[in-house]
Amino acid sequence: MAETYDFLFKFLVIGSAGTGKSCLLHQFIENKFKQDSNHTIGVEFGSRVVNVGGKTVKLQIWDTAGQERFRSVTRSYYRGAAGALLVYDITSRETYNSLAAWLTDARTLASPNIVVILCGNKKDLDPEREVTFLEASRFAQENELMFLETSALTGENVEEAFLKCARTILNKIDSGELDPERMGSGIQYGDASLRQLRQPRSAQAVAPQPCGC
Amino acid sequence: MRKQVQRSEKTCWKFTVVLSPVYGAQHPPLDPRLTKNFIKERSKVNAVPLKNKKASSFHEFARNTSDAWDIGDDEEEDFSSPSFQTLNSKVALATAAQVLENHSKLRVKPERSQSTTSDVPASYKVIKSSSDAQLSRNSSDTCLRNPLHKQQSLPLRPIIPLVARISDQNASGAPPMTVREKTRLEKFRQLLSSHNTDLDELRKCSWPGVPREVRPVTWRLLSGYLPANTERRKLTLQRKREEYFGFIEQYYDSRNEEHHQDTYRQIHIDIPRTNPLIPLFQQPLVQEIFERILFIWAIRHPASGYVQGINDLVTPFFVVFLSEYVEEDVENFDVTNLSQDMLRSIEADSFWCMSKLLDGIQDNYTFAQPGIQKKVKALEELVSRIDGRFKGRRVLHCLPSDDPFQCTQPNSIFFASQSEPEGFSHFHLYVCAAFLIKWRKEILDEEDFQGLLMLLQNLPTIHWGNEEIGLLLAEAYRLKYMFADAPNHYRR
Repeated sequence: MAETYDFLFKFLVIGSAGTGKSCLLHQFIENKFKQDSNHTIGVEFGSRVVNVGGKTVKLQIWDTAGQERFRSVTRSYYRGAAGALLVYDITSRETYNSLAAWLTDARTLASPNIVVILCGNKKDLDPEREVTFLEASRFAQENELMFLETSALTGENVEEAFLKCARTILNKIDSGELDPERMGSGIQYGDASLRQLRQPRSAQAVAPQPCGC
Repeated sequence: MRKQVQRSEKTCWKFTVVLSPVYGAQHPPLDPRLTKNFIKERSKVNAVPLKNKKASSFHEFARNTSDAWDIGDDEEEDFSSPSFQTLNSKVALATAAQVLENHSKLRVKPERSQSTTSDVPASYKVIKSSSDAQLSRNSSDTCLRNPLHKQQSLPLRPIIPLVARISDQNASGAPPMTVREKTRLEKFRQLLSSHNTDLDELRKCSWPGVPREVRPVTWRLLSGYLPANTERRKLTLQRKREEYFGFIEQYYDSRNEEHHQDTYRQIHIDIPRTNPLIPLFQQPLVQEIFERILFIWAIRHPASGYVQGINDLVTPFFVVFLSEYVEEDVENFDVTNLSQDMLRSIEADSFWCMSKLLDGIQDNYTFAQPGIQKKVKALEELVSRIDGRFKGRRVLHCLPSDDPFQCTQPNSIFFASQSEPEGFSHFHLYVCAAFLIKWRKEILDEEDFQGLLMLLQNLPTIHWGNEEIGLLLAEAYRLKYMFADAPNHYRR
C-alpha cells in the first residue's frame, strides 16, 4: 500500500448509542448514507487521505461503540488520539446530557490536548429537535470545543467536521502548540514530509501529491 | 472544499472486539468452575439492588483494570525470530488423517440402521422444499452484512445471505440429496424418535451439520431446552411456552418504568437496525417479538443486562424455528400469515434457546467482559504453543471477534459447537486458533497494529461455504485433539 502523505492523524468518533457515529464515518469515507447501519460492537475502523491547507493528511479514524458496556473496550483505543468527533443526536436530549462524561473520557484517556469537535448530528430531523443550536454552542464554548451541526443522511457538514478538526491540529503543529514527536500525540509523519514541517513554511518543498484521485 | 479531497484510499472495516461468536453453546456448561462462578455472580447481583451505573464508576473501573485491554505490549514484539515450522508436521498430518477417517466412519455408520423405522413425532415433522432455489437466487445479488468489504480473492463466488445460511445449509447449490445425506437424515430421524434420544450420539451426528428437516428439533434438544425423553417433550414445550408468556404478562409492562427505561430504550434503538436489509425483520410483528425476547432476557439477567450484539443472537433461532412453518423465501415471508399460536411458539422457543446459549457465555457480557478476557488469555497461550512466532497480545486483540464468522456460516459453527461435549465456549478457542494459524503468514507479515487490524477485519471469508468451514473446523478439532488435554504439549 504505497501512499504518500505528510501526516497521519489518529481520530476518534465518540458519543452515545444511536447518535449516528458510524453513519458519519461512512458518509465521510464513502460519500453516501449508510442505509444498513447496525450497532457497532467494539470498534470499527476507517481511513481516508485528505488535503488540508496544502498538506496531505491521512486520517485514521476509530469509530467506537456507544453503549456504556463497551467503554471498557473502546477506551483502549483512545490512547494517542489527536482529534475526536464528539457526537450527539439533536433529537435526543439524553445523548446531549451525556456529552460531559464522554468529553472527560476523551481528555483523560486520549490526551488533555486532544482537539475535539462537537457534532450535533441528525440535523435533517429539525422538526424533532430537542437540543437547540444555541444551547449546544454555549456548551461548546464553555468546554473549548469546535461545534457544527451535521447530517450523516444528507452529508451536510460531515466533511467539514473532519476537515475542521484536522485543520486545527495542523495549525497547532505550526504554532508549536502540538509536538508531533511527543509520544502519544496521535500524529505521525508520513513519507512525504519527513520532518519538513519543522522548517518555516516558505522554505518547504511541495510535497508530492498522491495521484489518481 | 470537496474537490480538494484526495481520495487515494477508501477504506472502512468493521471491527469487533467484544463479542465472541456465539452461535452455539453447550448447556448446562460442563465446566463446573464456570457454573459455580456464574451462580456466585448471579446471587451477588441479586443481593445488591440494581443501581444505575453511571460514568463516575467507570473511571474507578478504568483505574482498576488499566492493564486489562492493554495494547501497550505491541511494541515489545519480536517477529524476527527464526521461523519455527512449529508443529511436527508428521504428527499433524497423522492426526488430520485420523480426524478425517473418524468423520467418514461417522457418516457411513447410519447405513446399518437404515431399515429401522424413521418416524419423527408429528409435531416436529417439517418439510421444506423449494426454498433452495429461491435462496440461491437471492444470494447472487445480495451482499448482506458488509457492503464495504472489498474482497479480491474469489470474486465470482456468490455471497450467501444471512438468512439463507441459517435456514438452509445448502443454499449455494441445492443439489438433490445424495445417498449419504439421505442416510444421515434417516439416522437423525431414528435418533430423534427413539424413546430416549441419545444426546451424545445426536451431538456426534451433528458435527458435519444438521439436515434442515430436523434442524429445529435438534437445536431444541442440543441446547438443553427439550428433554431427551420423547414423551416428556410435548409437555415440556407447553409448560415452557406458558412460562415465557407468564413472564411477558408479569414484566413486559414495566419496560416504561424508570428503572427499566434505559434497557428498553437501547433495545428499541437496536431492533430496527438488526438485519436492516432483510424485509422479514422490518415487519412490526417480528420487531415486537425481538423486543419482548430481549427485554425479558435482560431483566432476568441483571448482571449483564441487555448488551448490544445480543440482539443478533436471536436471529438464528428465530429463523430456524420460523422455517418450521415456512417453505420458501424466509427473507420475504410475511409473518401475518402465521397463526397466533405458531408465532407464540416461535417466540417462546427462540427465547429459551437463546437463554440456554447465553447461560454458557454470560460473562462475555458482564462488566469488563471477564469471559472474553479469559478467552483472550487462553488463546494467547494456545497460539504461542502452536507457533512460537505469535508473541504478545497484539494479534489476539483482534480475535475474540465475531466478525470473521459473520462472513461465514454461523449455522455450521453452531452445529459443530453444539456437537462438542464441552460446549461452545471451549471449542471456540480452537476455532479462533485455527483461524489465526490459517492466516499466520499474512498476520506475521503485517508490520503495525493498524495493518494487522485491517487484515483481520477483512479476512477473505465472505465467500466461504461449507467446504471451507468444514476444513476450518477439522483443523480446530485437530488442534483441540493435540492440545486440549495435554497442557504441556509443545510448551515452549
